[in-house]
Order: sequence, then C-alpha cells, then structure tokens
Amino acid sequence: MIEILQNVIFGFQVALQPTNLIYCFFGVLIGTLVGVLPGLGPAAAIALLLPTTFKITPVSATIMLAGIYYGAMYGGSTTSILVNIPGEAASVVTCLDGYQMALKGRAGPALGIAAFGSFIAGTFAVIALTFVGPLLSNIALAFGPPEYFSLMIVGITVLTFLSSGSMIKALIMAGVGLILSGVGMDTISGKYRFTFNIQSLLDGVGVVPVAMGLFGISEVLLNLETEINRDILTTKVKNLFPTLKDWADSLWSIVRGSILGFFLGIIPGGGAVVASFASYAIEKKASKHPEEFGKGAIQGVAGPESANNSAAGGSFIPLLTLGIPANPVMAILLGALMIHGLQPGPLLMQNAPDLFWGTIVSMYIGNAMLLVLNLPLIPLWVKVLKVPYYLLYPLILLFCLIGAYSLDNTVADIVIMLIFGILGFLMKKLRYDGAPMILALVLGQKLETSLRRSLIMSQGDFSIFVTRPISLGFLITAVLLLIVPVVTQRKRLSTLKEG
Amino acid sequence: MKDKADRASGLFWLTFSVFVSYQSYKLGLGTLHQPGPGFLFFWTGIVTAILSVTVIVISLRKRSSEETQQPTFGKKNVTKIVLVLISLLLYALFMEWLGFLIVTLLFFIFLLGVIEKKRWLFAILVSLIVTAISYLVFERALQSQLPQGLLDFLRF
Repeated sequence: MIEILQNVIFGFQVALQPTNLIYCFFGVLIGTLVGVLPGLGPAAAIALLLPTTFKITPVSATIMLAGIYYGAMYGGSTTSILVNIPGEAASVVTCLDGYQMALKGRAGPALGIAAFGSFIAGTFAVIALTFVGPLLSNIALAFGPPEYFSLMIVGITVLTFLSSGSMIKALIMAGVGLILSGVGMDTISGKYRFTFNIQSLLDGVGVVPVAMGLFGISEVLLNLETEINRDILTTKVKNLFPTLKDWADSLWSIVRGSILGFFLGIIPGGGAVVASFASYAIEKKASKHPEEFGKGAIQGVAGPESANNSAAGGSFIPLLTLGIPANPVMAILLGALMIHGLQPGPLLMQNAPDLFWGTIVSMYIGNAMLLVLNLPLIPLWVKVLKVPYYLLYPLILLFCLIGAYSLDNTVADIVIMLIFGILGFLMKKLRYDGAPMILALVLGQKLETSLRRSLIMSQGDFSIFVTRPISLGFLITAVLLLIVPVVTQRKRLSTLKEG
Repeated sequence: MKDKADRASGLFWLTFSVFVSYQSYKLGLGTLHQPGPGFLFFWTGIVTAILSVTVIVISLRKRSSEETQQPTFGKKNVTKIVLVLISLLLYALFMEWLGFLIVTLLFFIFLLGVIEKKRWLFAILVSLIVTAISYLVFERALQSQLPQGLLDFLRF
C-alpha cells in the first residue's frame, strides 16, 4: 500500500513537470479536437502526430499520445449530442439518446452529464490502473514464451471475434497482418524475408505508415465518395450543469459504466467501442422505463460515455504491463514506444518507472483538464464542426504526408501509406476490418519469436502450449471464441471498430 | 454485386496466401526442433488460403438470393477520388526534387482550385497560408527536416 502511494507521488513529480504538463494539455486538446471531427479517429491522429514527438523525451511523448486517446472519448460525445454525428466510433451509441435530449432542448444537461460521467469514469479507471497494473506486472514476470504466444493468440482472436462483419474475413486480415510483420530481417537466422530486393523493405513494414493509410487516407477517400452532410443544431446550449434529478437518474449508470468499461478495456481485443455498446444494453435492461431509451433517456448518455472513458483507461493495462496492445489504438502506441526505444512489458515498471507512473498519473491530471476544458469550450467545438470538408480533407491529407515522411525522412513510407490507404478503402467497401491487421502486424515479431523459442525449449514438442496451465487457459479461450460463431449466431456487440 | 466482390477479394487473398507460402517454403521451414525463418509464414499462408477459399465458397452459395444488393462502387465522385489519389502520388514522387514548399503549394492549389473548383484567388491565398504555417510548424518548431529540393539554395 505504502509502496503504491510512493509510486503515485513519484508519478506526480514526473507528471507535474512543466513540460509534461504542457504536453498533457496538448494531448487532451488535440484529442478533443479529433473526437469532435468526424472522419478522423484517435488511431489515425496518434499515428499522424507521432513524428512530432521525436524531439521530446519518451515520457512527454507517451503522456501526449495517451492524452489524445482519452481526450477523443470526451470530444466524441459533443458531436453525437449536438449533430447526431459521432465524432468517433465509441460515441456512436451516445447519438441514440443524446441527440434526442438535444432535440428536446436538453443539450446542456446531456453534454454536462457526458463530461462529468467521463471524468468520474476516467478517474476511476486511473485509480484502478494504479492498483491492478503492478499486480499484473508481477504475474506477467512469470510468463515464459509459451504463455506469451498463447496470450497474443487470444488477443488477436478476441479482436477478430468482436470486429465488424464476417469473422472469417477478420481472420484473413489477421493472417495478412502477421505475414506483413515478417517482411525484413529475421531476427533469429538473420535472413531477409519477403523483401524482393527492394531497399526500403529491408527494415520491414512499419505499423505507423500502415495505420495512417488504413485509418487516415482511406477514411478521407470514403468521405469524398459520400460527402458528409451536417446539420448543426442551432439552439443555444444552456444549463450545462445537470440538475439534482439528472444526477439521481444517472449516478448508478455512471458507476456501472465505469466498472464495466474498465474490465472490457483490460481484455485484449476489447476497448472503448465495445464498452459503450455493452453499457447501453445493460442500462436499458436495468432501467425501470426501458421504453424511454431512444427518446432521450439521460442514462443512455451517462452509461456509455462513462464506459468508453473507463475502457480507454483500462486498455493501457495490457500495454504497459504485458506489452500486448488491447486494440488498434494501443497497437499504434506500442509502435510509438518502440520507436522511442522502449519495450513495453512486465519489466517496463522497473526499467522506466518515470514513464510508467508518469503516464498513469498524467491521466488523473488530463481528466481534470478535460473537464475544465470541455464544458466552457463547447461553443468553440461547435464552430470547429462548421469548418467545411473541402478545407478539412486537404489538411488531413497534408498531415498524413508530412507525418509519414518525417518518420524516417523517406518517401518510401509515404508510398507504403498510400498503398494501404487504397487497400483500406477497398477493404472498407468489401467489408474487411482493418483492426486485426494492425494488431497482428504489431504483434507479429513477438509472436514468431515466442513460438520459435517455445519450440526450441520443448525440443519441437507442441504440447508445451497445453501442458502449462496459463497457456492452456488462454488457448481454450481462443478456441471457444473460434467455435462459438460457428455453432451459434455471433452476437454483434458492435458494428464499428476501435480507431 | 457484393457476392461478386467477395469472390474477387477471396481470390485475391488466395493468390496472395499461396504466394506467401511458396516464398516461405523457399526460405526454409526448418525442423520442429529448430523452426526456420519460413516456418510461421508458411503455415499462416496455408490457413489464410483456406479462409479465402471459405469466403469464395460462401459467396458462390448465396449467389441467387442477394443479387439485388447495392453496387459496391458508386459511380459518384469516382473521378474525384482518382484525382486525389493521383495528386497524392505526384506529391510523393516530386517531394524530394521540388522540395516541401513548392510541392505543398501546388498540391493545395490543385485540390482547392481544380478538384473542389473554388475561386482561384481563394485557392491560391489559402494554399499560401497553409504552406507557410505548416512550414513554420513542422520545419521550424518541430525540426522535421522536410526536403528543401529546388529551394535548397535559399536556406532561410
């Protein structure tokens, strides 16, 4: 207990350094902006802004990039409520009741409860993270290559299970991602693989340009085809502070959303999107007046908005303690940490305590900043929404181009980004989900190394994966997830992906 | 239409997977005691190939029922998308030769003036502002080392 307290104090010392405070502020500000803007999600934003962090310390960089993710969760709700357009996927469900509340002239309380709920849930997640993180880190220290291998298999399987559309297609995407991770030098034998004598493939295919293509460029192409049409609610937003009755109505929704979101955030493959949908379903079940849902029930805003923030906090756990990203956003963050020369995993807490505790504590501060930042600035965000798309998309494209180039000062990364931009566009048309590809790409090398190390350990005996209890548990979970959709109709928790 | 698209995409991934498995086989699978560099990817390729065949088979089965599906590609705005893609490609091709400033300016003027058909004065003005600001932010403040290209002699 005292040890944790010491760590938290240490975290505050790191996070309260002026530079880190400034980067935290930038992170949540950009995050909110990204959340407000439809067509640009946190995954693309983190990838785009990664090169801007090259000149700063890894701690400041992580604090800022993390801020973008949970900041986006706040921003997304604003557009859902006011315009009925979710700024990003985790706020889709907020449209159902949030927009109805706005139509009834209750936009103020809806925005207010979303912000307060997010703050409470975000803080809850960070506190839970403070306690669960070290615990999980200790367990993970006992993991050998077989456990890691099985854990990664589970992570990828859960993500394909939860992904939108056909699970078979999602599995193909995971396979393709895995294959892409093999491009470049094989770390064990030193042989070059799949490079076809192309100079720029020798170092492999980077996660970041692929993510920029899949989540940035392809999104712009899709929007060009459909031409987003936005009607902005013209009524004045007033009474941001929810009344006592609003509080009484939504308090338990916030509590339930926070707890549910946190656990769904931890599970590899889960995340904010799934959490928001699950919370909405639970609130509707728990309500005495389920018929009010969809007509402006405040619980339908409070629950999911709390859940997505809590999940965003929770999803940092597998990344920081196991080095396994729970969703595409975390996968890109993992890529970012590795570019900064860090290896997330159970040893991170010992090797880079300033990063571990600084980032966690910065989230307490960031959540407070978001609360202060969001409510008074809502008129500004509404103005941002009015920026016409013909100005917005060239800017997004320019950011992608500069971002990809500055990764390594080479045009090759731009070309990779464009290829995956076109591929991502086609994939969205043909209903292939990009999320499993990103996750498999970022985990690929670790997956292969742990597989080969396990087989060397056991002298070629595959039973090593099922004779070790933890590994066996992971694999059983994975197999169940693969069988369930074949036997029953797979329940679609979400038709949208994280990112 | 959707089924046709599924058949095409399934066929594409099938070809891709078979190719990967073949390449991996050439790399060497090693033995189970000492898995080689192609081991994992050979088997991933095989699994992906099987999954692709499944996609094709499913799409063949439901051919008759869902023929009325919406077309996958709308005719709308196809030219716009292609033009944007071409301009992105040209940006990449000429970036190092022309330098960041010139290529960004041209890129923006093209997008706003030609593709979006805004008034020329507006397009040029916005392009100048965007180019200047992005240069100051990325080159000056963040020191991104963007290519100078033709303007290398200026070095301001």
